[in-house]
Amino acid sequence: MNALTAIVGVLALISAIGVVSFRSTIYCALSLVTNMVFLAVLFLLLNAQFLAAVQVIIYAGAVMVLFVFIIALLSPRAEDTPRLDLRFLVGLVAVFYVTLQIFFLVGNGSTYQKGAVACTSAAQQQCVKTPLRGAQVGQVSQPQQLSYFPDDVDAAGNVQTVGGQLFTTFLVPFEITSLLLFVAAIGAVYLTRHHLTGARRT
Amino acid sequence: MSLDAFPWLIGLSTAIFMLGALGVLIRRNPLVVFMSIELMLNAVNLAFVTFGRFLNSEDGQIFAFMVVVVAASEVVVGLALITTVFRTGRDLDVDDLSEMRE
Repeated sequence: MNALTAIVGVLALISAIGVVSFRSTIYCALSLVTNMVFLAVLFLLLNAQFLAAVQVIIYAGAVMVLFVFIIALLSPRAEDTPRLDLRFLVGLVAVFYVTLQIFFLVGNGSTYQKGAVACTSAAQQQCVKTPLRGAQVGQVSQPQQLSYFPDDVDAAGNVQTVGGQLFTTFLVPFEITSLLLFVAAIGAVYLTRHHLTGARRT
Repeated sequence: MSLDAFPWLIGLSTAIFMLGALGVLIRRNPLVVFMSIELMLNAVNLAFVTFGRFLNSEDGQIFAFMVVVVAASEVVVGLALITTVFRTGRDLDVDDLSEMRE
């Protein structure tokens, strides 16, 4: 665990708290943009360069611009006080309980070999090929699925590897997402146009 | 990145997800509720990428890519609904939307 990962993780957590706790809607949106950019940095540190670029372009670019545009269009009241009732207490307890529970469950060594050095390339010796226990179960049934070591993928190119899989193994889901985007665009146009014709009639 | 970072990253992902769920519970503004849902989707993406990285697999990144596409279309439809419902000058408060109850 290097220092950069820790710093970026803490900043992402702080910006996530900001999304929930800021009173002003526009501050929430800016905090969410910050959170998405820090998550993109974490993706870069996790050898997911393509996804980091997608995160910045689609999420921090397109989606958040849409959010800020709608906030400006609706011009909500300046102050939005969060509820501080029983629901808040239950939610806060659940946040701490579930987070600590999963952190200690994952960290107790039953899901990965503690202290083991994970391989970063297939040619490397004196290291663990499959650091997670689930990978050992999966390796029995499908050994060829788990051969993407980080250094090998970086040598071949992350975009090339992900794109190649996207257009071969995952071709049908990829086409279905294009259909989903099409339906979403039609739905948005229908919803807003329906409103306009209804307003003209009255 | 060494293997010691794995529980911390999964813990961070869980914390961000639970904060998003808390935001859905306590916020009144529908736009902020929507942003909290985006926060939860982002947390799931982080978990996908972390698991993919430590399983020596690229499938997590592809799943996260699909989640990004689904989130984008969800935002388009959801914001269109919010503008349609709240454009008539009523307060931006999800608690006021109770006329569908009876």
